[in-house]
Amino acid sequence: MREELGKLIEHLGQKEIATWHIGGFAIQVDPKTIVMSGIAALIVVILALFLRRGLRQPVEDKPNRTQAALDFVMEQLDSQLLGNFSSKSFGARMFPFISTLFLFILASNWLSLLPGLEAPTTDPNVTLGLALMVLVTVHVFLIGTKGLRGYKKEFFTPWWLSPITIMSEVIARPLSHGFRLFGFVFAEMVLVTIVMAKLEPFVVPIFLRVFFGIGFGLIQAFVFSILTVAYINLATEKH
Amino acid sequence: MLQEAQSAVGGISGADLIQVAKFLAAGLCMGIGSLGPGLGIGNAVAHALDGIARQPESRPALFSTMIIGCAFVETTAIYALLISIVLLFVV
Repeated sequence: MREELGKLIEHLGQKEIATWHIGGFAIQVDPKTIVMSGIAALIVVILALFLRRGLRQPVEDKPNRTQAALDFVMEQLDSQLLGNFSSKSFGARMFPFISTLFLFILASNWLSLLPGLEAPTTDPNVTLGLALMVLVTVHVFLIGTKGLRGYKKEFFTPWWLSPITIMSEVIARPLSHGFRLFGFVFAEMVLVTIVMAKLEPFVVPIFLRVFFGIGFGLIQAFVFSILTVAYINLATEKH
Repeated sequence: MLQEAQSAVGGISGADLIQVAKFLAAGLCMGIGSLGPGLGIGNAVAHALDGIARQPESRPALFSTMIIGCAFVETTAIYALLISIVLLFVV
């Protein structure tokens, strides 16, 4: 038993890389990450379709359980995340993007609670991909509010500071944004695996996994999406 | 005794020393790198709690602002984590 668990540590952080040859290009992917993020996305979609059926009721009735639960979730998302936008209407416009980001990251963080599955956010490629998506969104909004000329001005005044500005806005920001999520989820996985293999096989790891998985998974999903809100807010404010 | 020590030292090759330096550097990087953010987050949470204790109705606004501030403070610890990951797995 212990020896089998000891093998877990040896294979910790190892990846099985598959190479696809598509039209002369060799694309290297980790199939596990793709399958797991697909499962996380499927969970969100199926929950959405399933919960939508609970909403079919006359308007004047008292809200049923599904409706009450969804109302609570929506209210929390609206007040905690979208309330930080500078204007209410812009917050309503950004609601689908931010809440999808939040729900997807939450589903992928909580995936590690199910036996045999692994959180796709333990792969830095997933979190960096999400951070890149946010970066592109932020820059599109920056161009949209300031115009191309203002966008150039944002980075090149004063010109001698421009390397530092570009470094911090374009390179360091998505790196820290993505690696924050990755670091927490990966650290949780490493901690639980080491405790499972070295100390106590069952009771403590389950407690740790539930504690870190549910609590920290929720907090990290929240932090990721609230940082997205803060970045978009910074990009769209007018001087 | 002296011979034993000499033979033990003779068994350590340069690759071993590099390995030792890698682990030591990764551990020190994470340890020292998280000192500052730890202090900073502690400070931020302490003052947010102070504000909430004085004005309990300002809790939602203070809470989300505190989370944003904590996330920004954490950034240096994230860079330390990045460097120690590079030290452990890439170098």
